[in-house]
Parts: sequence; structure tokens; C-alpha cells
Amino acid sequence: MNSSRRRHPAVIHANLTPMIDVTFLLIIFFVLVAQIVEVEQVDMQLPIPEDPVSELATEDQRVVINVVPDSAHGVQEYRMGAMLFTPDAAGLSKLADQLAALYQANPDIQVNLRADQRTHYQHVEPALNAIRQAAYYVQDTSFVARVNLAVRREN
Amino acid sequence: MMDYEETETAVNFRSRAGKSMGGLNLTAMIDVVFLLLIFFMVGTNFRLGEEIYRMDLPPEGVSPESYDPFVLEEEPLRIDVNSTGSGRSDLMIRIDGPYDQPSNAEQLRSFLVQHQINDISPAGLFLPDHPIIIRPTLTTRWEHAVDVLNAAARARYTNISFAPPQ
Repeated sequence: MNSSRRRHPAVIHANLTPMIDVTFLLIIFFVLVAQIVEVEQVDMQLPIPEDPVSELATEDQRVVINVVPDSAHGVQEYRMGAMLFTPDAAGLSKLADQLAALYQANPDIQVNLRADQRTHYQHVEPALNAIRQAAYYVQDTSFVARVNLAVRREN
Repeated sequence: MMDYEETETAVNFRSRAGKSMGGLNLTAMIDVVFLLLIFFMVGTNFRLGEEIYRMDLPPEGVSPESYDPFVLEEEPLRIDVNSTGSGRSDLMIRIDGPYDQPSNAEQLRSFLVQHQINDISPAGLFLPDHPIIIRPTLTTRWEHAVDVLNAAARARYTNISFAPPQ
């Protein structure tokens, strides 16, 4: 009786161990990627020009400057990578200094500027000016500051 | 004893064949599904639909020796842009000069295309590298400034810049 029971077919069930392994790996991957993306990509509505002649961003090394919008048309802060800068003269000169340090390390670095479509120009222009200032600190006279203005393409 | 064993086996076999019809080996499928998931994630751009305009910023202070006194400075075309409301098309464009004023970015583009000197219209006013200065006001919305930039870039001008806010 005992031996005949043992020979009954085993209940088939999946071996869950590798699946759990892979699932945890994916969770960690997603969490890390989400953090990296969030640092660069502040939530805002980029301008959506009609029939844009904009181009896709390259995969070159880049730094993203966000003009973080407040609830109206103003600016809450400027944000480069994970660094925050107050929207006043002191903050902007700090931004220029930090960017100049990046330029010194890698003159080919791409600077992307993201600003909300509602933000008034008087708050965006200081960021452009800071980038130009940072390039001025670089000793090489032939150095030209480049900036990439981020927009959204409507499908 | 022998007979008993054989009948048991036969009964067992029959019952097993009946039950195992629905049993699927999921492991291989899960492997493939995760592989596809990772493939699509890596292949997808995380900033979906985000694109850029490349611009060179003019240097901070142009040194005096870069001016050639024998070259006539080209008078740049100045375009004022102002926001009149909170909508996407609520913008006012004014071209500095005795021109018909466009009422939107599309008309500005066709104005710039019409007056460009190129192979098709050699009698135009502006070369493709004619300096164009966009002058938004303090309260111009960023999208309207970008709209004007886009109109000039679509008309194939290459020397477009933003002026400090007025």
C-alpha cells in the first residue's frame, strides 16, 4: 500500500526560485533607472512647436539644466543634475561656476536646457546667460558654448 | 504479485495521462518573456518624444580686434514676440521694418522663405546666414519664443539668436 502510494504521480508545480531571483533583479533595475531618469527629467510641459525642425538628442555625455517651473509663469529653482540653484544672481553665478567646472573636465559636454512652455522668457534667459558665462570662464578663446533647447515632438 | 504490479501500473498510467493534459512547462516561457521585456526596455528611449534644437551661444564679450572696419555690418532682422494670452496661438509677432506683419508663426515662416536669397529667388532680401535676432519680452511664454525660433529654422536660416528680454 505504502509503495503504491509513492508511485502516484507527483503534483506538478513550477520551481519558483529562479523566477523570484529574476523578479527581484528587475525590481532593483527599475528602481535605479527611475531615479536616474528623475534626476535629469523634472516633470514639466515642454514647448510643442508645430512641424518642428528639432532633432533627436545624441547619446553623447550631457548635462541637463532644468528651469523648474512654479505654479504660475515663474521659476522655482534651476536644477543641473541633482544640484539645485536659487533663481537669483547668487544662484545663477553658482550655476555658471559648476558648469564651467564641467566644461573644464570635458569641453565636448552637451548642455540641454529644459523649460516649461508657460515659463516667462525673463526666467529662461538667465539660464542661457549662465551657460554663456560658463563658456567664458573656459580659457580657450575658440571655445563656443552650445546649448540644446529641449522640446516635445507631437505625434 | 507480478500481475498485481502490472495492473497497478496500468491504472496509474491511465490516470496520469488524463490529468497531465493541462500541465504546461512555464519556465521556458517566463525566460523568454523576461528576455523580451528587457530587450524592449533597453531599446526604448526613456525620453519619449523629446527632441532638441542645437544652438551656439555667442561669446560673452566680442573682442574689439575681431571687428573688421572695412566690412559693413549686416543689419540684423529683429523679430519681437509677445504673448497675448495663455493659449498656444496667443502670440504677437512684429518684424522690425517696413514689412507686412505676420499674425502667427506660420506666416512668419512664409515671410522669411519669400524674402530669402537662394537659387529659386535670387532677388530676395536676406541670405540664409543673415542674422536674425528674436526679441521676446519679459513676459513672453517660452513656447512662443520657441515657436518663432522654429519658424526661422524651418525657413532654413542659420544665424538665429535670442536677445535679452526687453
